[in-house]
Amino acid sequence: MIDKLFYFVTVPMVYLAVAWAIVGIIIRAVQIWRRPRHPFTLKVFEQRSTLLGRMPLIGAIVDVFTMPTVRKHQPLFWVFLGLFHLALLALLVAHLDLLPQINIMPTGSKHMLGYGGVGVVLTVSVLYFMWRRFRSPVREISVPADYLLLLLLFLIFITGDTISWANSWNSGGFVIGKPEFAAYLDGLVKFTFDNPRDVLYGSHYVVVVLHVLLANLLLLLLPFSKVMHFFFALPMNKLRRG
Amino acid sequence: MEDDQRQELLKLFRERLTSAVRMYMENCTRCGLCIEACHAYASSPETRYSAVGRAQNIRRLFDRYFKLSGKLAPALNEAIDLDDGWLDKIYETAYTCTGCRRCMTYCPFGIDTQTIQGIAKMLLIGSDKEPKVLSMLSDMSIAKGQNIEQTKQTFAQAVHNLESEVLDMWRSEGGQEAVPLDVMGANVLYVALAGKHSMIPAAAIMNAAQEKWSLSYFEAVNFGAFVGNPQKTREISQRIIDEAVRLGVKEVAICECGTAYRVMKQQMGELPFEVISFVELMARYLREGRIKVDRSKIEGRLTYHDPCQIARNGGIYEDPRYIIEQLTGEFVEMQPNRAANWCCGGGGGLVAMGEKDFRMKSAKVKADQVRDTGAKVLATACENCHTQLSDLNEHYQLDVKVEYLSNLVAEALVQD
Ligand code: SF4
Ligand code: SF4
Repeated sequence: MIDKLFYFVTVPMVYLAVAWAIVGIIIRAVQIWRRPRHPFTLKVFEQRSTLLGRMPLIGAIVDVFTMPTVRKHQPLFWVFLGLFHLALLALLVAHLDLLPQINIMPTGSKHMLGYGGVGVVLTVSVLYFMWRRFRSPVREISVPADYLLLLLLFLIFITGDTISWANSWNSGGFVIGKPEFAAYLDGLVKFTFDNPRDVLYGSHYVVVVLHVLLANLLLLLLPFSKVMHFFFALPMNKLRRG
Repeated sequence: MEDDQRQELLKLFRERLTSAVRMYMENCTRCGLCIEACHAYASSPETRYSAVGRAQNIRRLFDRYFKLSGKLAPALNEAIDLDDGWLDKIYETAYTCTGCRRCMTYCPFGIDTQTIQGIAKMLLIGSDKEPKVLSMLSDMSIAKGQNIEQTKQTFAQAVHNLESEVLDMWRSEGGQEAVPLDVMGANVLYVALAGKHSMIPAAAIMNAAQEKWSLSYFEAVNFGAFVGNPQKTREISQRIIDEAVRLGVKEVAICECGTAYRVMKQQMGELPFEVISFVELMARYLREGRIKVDRSKIEGRLTYHDPCQIARNGGIYEDPRYIIEQLTGEFVEMQPNRAANWCCGGGGGLVAMGEKDFRMKSAKVKADQVRDTGAKVLATACENCHTQLSDLNEHYQLDVKVEYLSNLVAEALVQD
């Protein structure tokens, strides 16, 4: 029974979650774009005329990637937000790098991109976000979903860290190494529907399943969550730039 | 609340959901960055008076009625039913927000709280809970537009009575009317407020510049915008637009009233004439040498309050500073200033509604900011700001003289 459950989580549920997330994101985007445009400008005028001010789209892109308002008003928060988002990007690349078709780390390297550091940065950043959210005044404007999302992210990262650490630093050697994960992901990409247990034979397989389960949950919740700001940060900043 | 009424209100809510508003509704991360941006929070500090605190009242309704998650798991985002109790809560936050949009300069996404409060105000109108004084004032403006032919004569007489005061400020050339009305093909249609303080200095300045101008029969202030009724906002502005078109003017200059300027400049769509603020017109006259001012008239240090709707929301930063440079050598900036300036705390209809206790309490940061300049004269270019700053002056004993820029210019006019 448990084997069947593990198989469901690591193969069919992954497809379901990804499809759900894609359809959900498209629906949310369509819901927004089908609404009428705002009848007048929502621009806020800059302090002084600047080059970026005269190029609203470029200005908005710079706003999205550098978050100048956060840097100005809460520099420590900006540092963690910057680290978090950069590490997320690195995390995505690191997972893609597991695919045999993609080789970013040197072939034969037993380490994921970042040597486990990416996960640590993410975990620490999320801990900071939690600490901030539990404190006044942010606590007063928070809703349960805010805490649950952070908790979910924390659990995804900590299980990811565990897998990474178990691989890299376990004195018993590499229990489940990169080639095994590569085989699992390759199977997913090629829709072989093979049971990952056949290739992921390490003793901490349960942690891998938990990690995948939590990531699936995140994908399922994604279209309903504020993570969607990822897609709308640019158009919203463009509105402010005019 | 009856279900029929709720459905009616939700229909109004839906109508306000433009693509921008929908993005604002769905993508706030509740990072809290905007909290300290609001003068009301900074002066209290109570999070219900923060941008996100106010917006959450509306967002929770949005979640309940427009999102699947609010139907399946309402507790997750604290989705809430729309009822009379919640409307009372909405009233409190909508009519304590001045619509200054300072919070937008903090939010990493630029979420516009004023626009979200537009939904709150619409729900209050729909449930007949809006501040009646604002509705009444908007209706009066609209009625004036409908009965203009009957009131023109009285208005012309009242304006005629002001002429001697205008001439005291500037002796016009022979043949030039001190306060002209109905001037076909005028370069400028000047739209004043109801009080003579908004007509006399402006008339003197335009006469000094030998402008071909005409005074509008209508007052600039738009109570429809304060009460958040787009239909009334348009009707009130439309009276002026029709008049400008009838006279065939090149420019409509809005007096020192921030909301009137922003509504006419940004919210009325394409117009067959230019819309400018009177501040811009004064700066133009000075730059072109059409008027000259005496630099020794103002005694003591002067500071300038950027009205939110003209500066942050209208982009007029440098013209008032240019004017001030011509008027005095003792100018001191408030800190922060321009787009970052603190709101005076009187916008969004609060001055018209009275609300003095709240206005004073919520604008303590503004009073501190003025006091820190050590100025003796506090100039501004908006009637709402002027009233609020005068009240703050008295309440916090700031010991400044609050002045309109136009009045400072008119009093310093140099007659060759
Ligand atoms: S618009 Fe101004 S008053 Fe309203 S929440 Fe934002 S900062 Fe506060
Ligand atoms: S700063 Fe923007 S995203 Fe953050 S809580 Fe305020 S409105 Fe929401």
